[in-house]
Amino acid sequence: MTEGPARMPGERAAVIWGSIATLLVVVSTIGIFLVAPEDADQGVIQRIFYFHVAIAIASLVAFAVACVAGILYLRTRNDRWDDVGEASIRIGLLFSVLVVITGSIWAKASWGTWWVWSDPRLVTYLIVVLIYAAYFVLRSSAEDDRKMRYSAIYAIAGFASVPLSFYSVRVAESFVHPVVFTSGGANMPGSMLIWFVVSQAAMLALFIALLEVDLVGRRSERALRRLALRLEGT
Amino acid sequence: MSGGSQYVVAAYAVIWFLVLAYVVVLGARTARIGRQVEAISRMLDRRDQREEQPDSEPDPEPEPSGDRA
Repeated sequence: MTEGPARMPGERAAVIWGSIATLLVVVSTIGIFLVAPEDADQGVIQRIFYFHVAIAIASLVAFAVACVAGILYLRTRNDRWDDVGEASIRIGLLFSVLVVITGSIWAKASWGTWWVWSDPRLVTYLIVVLIYAAYFVLRSSAEDDRKMRYSAIYAIAGFASVPLSFYSVRVAESFVHPVVFTSGGANMPGSMLIWFVVSQAAMLALFIALLEVDLVGRRSERALRRLALRLEGT
Repeated sequence: MSGGSQYVVAAYAVIWFLVLAYVVVLGARTARIGRQVEAISRMLDRRDQREEQPDSEPDPEPEPSGDRA
């Protein structure tokens, strides 16, 4: 009797989170397109809100995870936290690009233009995207321990741009970009809010699932390097 | 399609197209690494067996298949 291939740590978590994300995405898609009521002001276009805002928040969560991973790396010098930080920023950047694209589509449908340079939310969010894109330029310019150390510091410093984007609309009192969530609660009926919550949960589960899959790949790469070293030593 | 529904469909399609592309890239990388790890493990097993049986005829050592790391 032969044993099957050994599972990498995290494989089970990746499968579980992948399943949860898939289920939530299916449920939220049904809810957004078939159940949620149509907005009286914007009509069907408002449905972009459910996934546009959910992905935006998930991207900011990804950057927050990278910031925490950066702090933990500097405290422990454990490579695992460098992996978590880089994977989180990679996924956060993917989500940010999706936010910009879906936002532009929504802007075109709603305002008749793809981009409004005078809107503080759009511009500050673009700055956040560019800051995190530069993270990969930094990583490619250093090696080994220095690369991980610089990346951790950059992930922590870069996170300072996130509140800038989040509070820009409130500070600048933009009338172009609507503010849905205020200190007084959500400016939408409960029948819409429930589907936004489901959509948000789906995007966060998707982030965790992608992160787990990415980390399994990185652990496999490390295992491969260890095997290569064993071969060189024999 | 009317009333801007084409914009909603376009936004939704863009999201899942890019997420799916990312998943495919991740999956391809993981599968490639897994194949390489298994190929190297097999090479090491054969090497260990030869060391345990030094009198046996040495067989040619195959190169690991697949891409380089």
